[in-house]
Amino acid sequence: MSVPLSQMWTVATYVLGQKLRGHTRYPLVLMLEPLFRCNLACAGCGKIQYPGHVLRKHLTVEQCLAAVEECGAPMVSIPGGEPLMYPEIGPLVKALVARRKYVYLCTNAILLKEKLQAGLFTPSKYLSFSVHMDGLREEHDEAVCRDGVFDQAVEGIKEALRRGFRVTTNTTLFDNASPIRMQMFFDEMMDLGVEGMMLSPGYSYSKAPDQEHFLRRQKTNELFAKMLANPKKRWKFNQSPLFLQFLMGKQDFECTPWGNPTYNLFGWQRPCYLLQEGYATTFKELMQTTRWEEYGRKSGNEKCQDCMVHCGHEPTAVNHTFSSWRGFRDTVAATVTGRL
Amino acid sequence: MTDEKSLEGWAPEIPDAATLAEVVDRAFDYRGDVTVMLDDGRELVGYLFNRTRDVAEPFVQMFERENAGPSRVPYARIRAIRFTGRDTAAGNSYAAWLRSREAAKAASSSPGA
Repeated sequence: MSVPLSQMWTVATYVLGQKLRGHTRYPLVLMLEPLFRCNLACAGCGKIQYPGHVLRKHLTVEQCLAAVEECGAPMVSIPGGEPLMYPEIGPLVKALVARRKYVYLCTNAILLKEKLQAGLFTPSKYLSFSVHMDGLREEHDEAVCRDGVFDQAVEGIKEALRRGFRVTTNTTLFDNASPIRMQMFFDEMMDLGVEGMMLSPGYSYSKAPDQEHFLRRQKTNELFAKMLANPKKRWKFNQSPLFLQFLMGKQDFECTPWGNPTYNLFGWQRPCYLLQEGYATTFKELMQTTRWEEYGRKSGNEKCQDCMVHCGHEPTAVNHTFSSWRGFRDTVAATVTGRL
Repeated sequence: MTDEKSLEGWAPEIPDAATLAEVVDRAFDYRGDVTVMLDDGRELVGYLFNRTRDVAEPFVQMFERENAGPSRVPYARIRAIRFTGRDTAAGNSYAAWLRSREAAKAASSSPGA
């Protein structure tokens, strides 16, 4: 696994601190969406279908920082929309790094080279560009519904690495994914020199244009079990090994919907990053008034039955690591040996 | 997209509170602007992004098209909601993209291309 030691230490001490204080519900990663505007319209995305006047709006840096303070999570993921289209992205990232938050700037990287050349960012262990890559050139360009984007993203990655930035990739998998092609993709990303890769099955957003290719639970297990059956030592994954084992069907985790709370123009999104069932004005209100028992597979909520997405289940995996000796042992073993 | 028909253009009658609650829910789920008609005759045009029901005075929140917003409107003041804006989630852009890509490939491989 490729998460830097300092980041592991920060997360470990944060989780243990929450446990010592008796907190059973705590956030791990804030999903901060400063805007919904994007320069792509991917088939599997349900995040950007809004009227033009909403797409033209964005949060202020002050609103973003207030949300970060209110939430208190040690990591901040900045998705969107496309965060490199946010006019204040430079100052926002600088302010988050100054607060020692581990920032994952989730980008399609179309604008990455241009923004790096403009001097918008400074390399830091707290900042990682998490580049959206849904597979090799053919699969990625198909997923983002535009030819040439894979090559642009590779250019952006190379430029970021050349300048000394941390770069990871994030990959969403659908039911047309080929295990062999994905293994080739892992090799290609490692050849490029990225620090690590993040994987997740897609979620069937009701507003996404493509509803036909989302993975069901059993298919997810089969795909990941084949893809990661004999992982090469050189493949680095920037996520909990227990979460990958969950995707392979080797762990049974419930969802932790409050683990990655989402803040955007509309407020604190209930109950999670994927479902939009309403908004709370404050983080406290989100945590105290959301009916958490109505979500997750065990709840019987049909919207949650096939969901195995990272934002709900990776926090469960991390919590599991620090909840039992077995969880800790399994995590250490997978981290040291690279076996899943 | 689901196969459900878009609500674009819908202008439901709202005879009672139960219907109002249902129409508000539909408006909340709708990915286009709506026009909310108030008890004083005013009309608010914009995106209805939230509704809060489990409070003493249920309310909706909107980003009005012409104001920075957001604004907050109690259910009790709403007389009608019309689905006047374009449904931005309607249509099947994935299929459309596949069609256009196939057409482009066919054009580039045809003689004389």
